[in-house]
Amino acid sequence: MSSSLWTLKTGDSCEILGYDDALDEKYRIRLMEFGFHPGESVSCLQSLAFGAPKVYRVSNTVYSLDDEVAAHVLVRITTSHE
Amino acid sequence: MSKILLMGSPNSGKSLLFNRLTGLHHKVANFPGITVDVSVGRLQALPELELVDFPGTYSLQAISADEKVAVEYFERSLLDPEVSQVLCVIDATRLEKSLYFTLQVIRECARHGKRVMVLANMIDVLDAHKLSLDVDGLGAAVGALVLPVSARSGKGLDAVIAELKKASVREVGGSTKPQVTALDEQLRITAHQLAQRFGAKGDVLIRNQTRLDGIFLHSLTGGIAFFLIMYLLFQSIFTWAAPFMDAVEYALGALAELVVPLVGNQTARDFTADAVFGGLGAFLVFVPQIFVLTFVIGLMEDSGYMARAALICHKPLRLFGLTGKSFIPMLSGVACAIPAIYAARAIDSPRKRLLTYMAIPLMPCSARLPVYSLLIAAFIPAGTALGGLVGWQGLAMFAIYFFGMFCGLLVTALVSRTSKDHYNDLPFVLELPPYRIPSLLPLLRNCWNRSKHFVTKAGKIIFAVTVGVWGLGYFPNFGADLGTSWLGYLGHLIEPLFAPLGLDWRYGVAILSSFLAREVFVGTLGTIFGIEAADEQTAPLVEQIQNSDLALGSGLALLVFFAIALQCISTLAILAKESGSASLAVKMFMGYFLFAYVAALAVFQLTSLFTG
Repeated sequence: MSSSLWTLKTGDSCEILGYDDALDEKYRIRLMEFGFHPGESVSCLQSLAFGAPKVYRVSNTVYSLDDEVAAHVLVRITTSHE
Repeated sequence: MSKILLMGSPNSGKSLLFNRLTGLHHKVANFPGITVDVSVGRLQALPELELVDFPGTYSLQAISADEKVAVEYFERSLLDPEVSQVLCVIDATRLEKSLYFTLQVIRECARHGKRVMVLANMIDVLDAHKLSLDVDGLGAAVGALVLPVSARSGKGLDAVIAELKKASVREVGGSTKPQVTALDEQLRITAHQLAQRFGAKGDVLIRNQTRLDGIFLHSLTGGIAFFLIMYLLFQSIFTWAAPFMDAVEYALGALAELVVPLVGNQTARDFTADAVFGGLGAFLVFVPQIFVLTFVIGLMEDSGYMARAALICHKPLRLFGLTGKSFIPMLSGVACAIPAIYAARAIDSPRKRLLTYMAIPLMPCSARLPVYSLLIAAFIPAGTALGGLVGWQGLAMFAIYFFGMFCGLLVTALVSRTSKDHYNDLPFVLELPPYRIPSLLPLLRNCWNRSKHFVTKAGKIIFAVTVGVWGLGYFPNFGADLGTSWLGYLGHLIEPLFAPLGLDWRYGVAILSSFLAREVFVGTLGTIFGIEAADEQTAPLVEQIQNSDLALGSGLALLVFFAIALQCISTLAILAKESGSASLAVKMFMGYFLFAYVAALAVFQLTSLFTG
């Protein structure tokens, strides 16, 4: 079952499935450039308080994404700490 | 002269490498219309070669106006016969991030017959953690020479120079030819595969970074660290820069005392004293503040903390159409709008940068303080409430400071909701670079360049306007009486404009002269009321204003007017330069004047209703 990247909590990992249609094309391009492409593994390093952008690791780089972007990235959670 | 382009994605250490190779001696130029610098310098070891530092970008596929200009500049450069080769810097510790862009650069260079050399930077970091990068294998795979270097320690740079010395253009690297016809999607897949195959194994670097992020992004410790660092930033602008600002003022004053008596003619003497030295003092005094703020912001950027600060502030500022990166320029604006506008360069989204420019002039800058102090002392009673806990004047000062900030956020919220400029916006996808110890020398060099930019670019406009306003106030009666000068005449002319606020021509003249700098309002009003050195001792002026039958509503209207109006020539000049748009500065001046006038009129009318 797919969910969004934004639903990940600290320590969770996932595999990117794709993007939903609401995500603007140029945002999609930028995410792909940063390594958030289908099939890639992503882990959530930090889920901050008050809805602040979350911290994700993809390959050997760390990025912060806010919900406006992360909520449109479709993922399959592979490791959950719930 | 033969030119070499230096390319690389942000946070790859490109600028430090540029400084290493050119020995810090370079000039900085701007792309027309946008805030992107291009540094140009001769190689220290090979002065016949010029190195052009291309702005850091993640890809050659532009998704904003800024990026489009930068990418077009690169494409034009490839057609330039003087450009002999391209150096592409990659972060050896995070290969995949840099490789996609590098492959795009190699492809474009292959199409134009330009040689590419890939510099795998931060090799010292890999060495320190006993990690390695297969540079030969990577070079063979991408079809370009890959050299391991450290911009920080200088390791490997001799080999780079030796390669550059080989003047003949030849094929380098391994057997694999660059992918001349490869599509971006293919390059992305290739970058991923190459990073897996040749990149450093292990995640010790990420673990170190995550450990520190656990402190700096933690709800409690992160909040404390953020508060302390912002306090440090604020202190640096207000307190650390103050002695240097005083020194500039003192030095100019001492020089004026030496020079002015040597000028024979009275008018020329007045011009030298008031327009030349007064005009120079009006903008040179900001140089230390710009230098100090650039230094502190540079420390934050180079150490990696800036990205964390942006992350912490993003959510609340997003409500007002801003980004987390807007916070530091806006906080700096509480001290002075000029360094704050420079600080807005760090905002990568052109749209968010524009909105931040709009908010900055409404932050309650220190130049407003003397005006607020004078008006509050004149119109707000000195009494206290709640058993002495709350002073009315202190409360009024807090209210007017808060009012300015509120107006700034209100403007950005309204503009962001009513004007959609999607093309110039960028998503909040922020790279969190590893924590690093900043390199001092390049940082100081950057501070120097920024200060020089202010003096040479904005200084001319500020000085020209200063001379103009001085002329209006001096002629035709040669400085005998401000009231009968051309400025006084203008004050009378615009009196009907300020009459609905209950203000007469004297306040009109003071407002006109405060266009030079807001605090000039106090000195001008003092001159008109016949009080010597009113800007240093305001009590007699306060008494005069209180005795001049000026209504409470007019005093409050003036307070509101000064909280909003953008009557600061230095701010407007630097705004025009940094945004690349003089029309933006003019529109903002007129827009905020109108906003200030309407708000002041509303306050005057409302107060008049209650006070009769």
